[in-house]
Amino acid sequence: MGFFSKFRKKSPWILHYNTGGCNGCDIEILSALAPRYDIERFGMLNRGNPKQADILLVTGPVTKNCKDVLRRLYLEMAEPKVVVAMGACAHGGGIFRDFYHVENGVNNIIPVDVWIPGCAPRVEALIDGMVEAIEIWQQKSKEKEYLRDHENIIKTLGVEDDD
Amino acid sequence: MINVILTLLAPIIGGFVYGIERIVKARMQKRVGPPLLQPFYDFFKLMDKRPLMIHSLHALMGIMYFIAEWFALAVLLLGNDLLIAVFFHVIAVLALVIGASSVRSPYSVLGALRELMHMISYEPLMVLMVVALFLVVGSFDIRDVLAYEGYPILRLPLVFIAFLLTIPMMLQKSPFDIAEAHQEIIGGPEIEYSGPFYEALYTGKWIEYIYVFTFVFLFGGSHYWLGVLLVILAFLFINLLDNASARLDFRAMVKFAWGFLIPMAALNVILLALWQ
Repeated sequence: MGFFSKFRKKSPWILHYNTGGCNGCDIEILSALAPRYDIERFGMLNRGNPKQADILLVTGPVTKNCKDVLRRLYLEMAEPKVVVAMGACAHGGGIFRDFYHVENGVNNIIPVDVWIPGCAPRVEALIDGMVEAIEIWQQKSKEKEYLRDHENIIKTLGVEDDD
Repeated sequence: MINVILTLLAPIIGGFVYGIERIVKARMQKRVGPPLLQPFYDFFKLMDKRPLMIHSLHALMGIMYFIAEWFALAVLLLGNDLLIAVFFHVIAVLALVIGASSVRSPYSVLGALRELMHMISYEPLMVLMVVALFLVVGSFDIRDVLAYEGYPILRLPLVFIAFLLTIPMMLQKSPFDIAEAHQEIIGGPEIEYSGPFYEALYTGKWIEYIYVFTFVFLFGGSHYWLGVLLVILAFLFINLLDNASARLDFRAMVKFAWGFLIPMAALNVILLALWQ
């Protein structure tokens, strides 16, 4: 907690990743960028780059194809970082739960800090979740964070050597 | 005295220019926009991130870009040859290109190649503009240009229009934001920088604003009110163009620069030389 930590809440940069949802949540996120809600007022920018982002905003159930990509996006982000799971699918699968191709939610791959409920959540709920995420983000330190069940996940993906 | 202050405080003033630009851009889209100090909040936040680097040359070239950009501005403002200032700007861009090509990310390499396309589009025009200013003023020295009694803009209208359309290429604005292309190659050369190293690029871009708008200011000669007016007009025009247009292909950019802008500027220079 240094001098610069106070400025964290002023400029959270978001990385948005859809892991195979129906796009409903993504449209809500886009409407948050549009004139009516305009989250750039709070300094939030939608960066497409994990290396420069602070908040990972995940939507959708995690499909088997997306699993490794999601893991890599999480590991490529520089600490301090927060993960926000948005929508019913991200909370354990939603309508896709126990399908043959999904991993039943974001929490099985990466640790989630904030959950935004709804299908699809309203933009007000999204902004509220972002405010919660910023509060958690301010408490975090610069230390390296690992995945939940790290060893098992990299073993099942067969990527032991790229850590 | 004012040029020393402007040189030393270039990152801070450039940050304010960038903050104003973000507000202006938001207002043009009917949004409220971020606070004026937003670039500095971003700056402080990036200081607080965990430093990650690909390899040391890559990080060094990012910092080199910032230093070379600042040095080019210092050469320009502290009363030196305009031509030398243009060439020092090339060094800054080359540092960016070398850094971006030294990593394995395809987007970064693609961005570096496109950055070179930017360079071959705008550098000849910069040199032509400096030559045109020399023909009017009779000196490459910035102090002589700023002491010139006449109105350089009246004798170089086509060069000014050509330079106005070149600014989007230099500042990575919308019809020609080909190297950066945020939706396409996610920032291009800057994609692999993170935390404090990205900061160097982010701040280097603010200095580039000052560098470019200083050249616009020179078209006013010794009439500083005209220079300020031209800078404000150019600023608004660039933002309007940025909001109103979509990104072009890099071929279109090079064609536009070499087929339209450079002949137009050259025509002005030739007519000026004949008329004198």
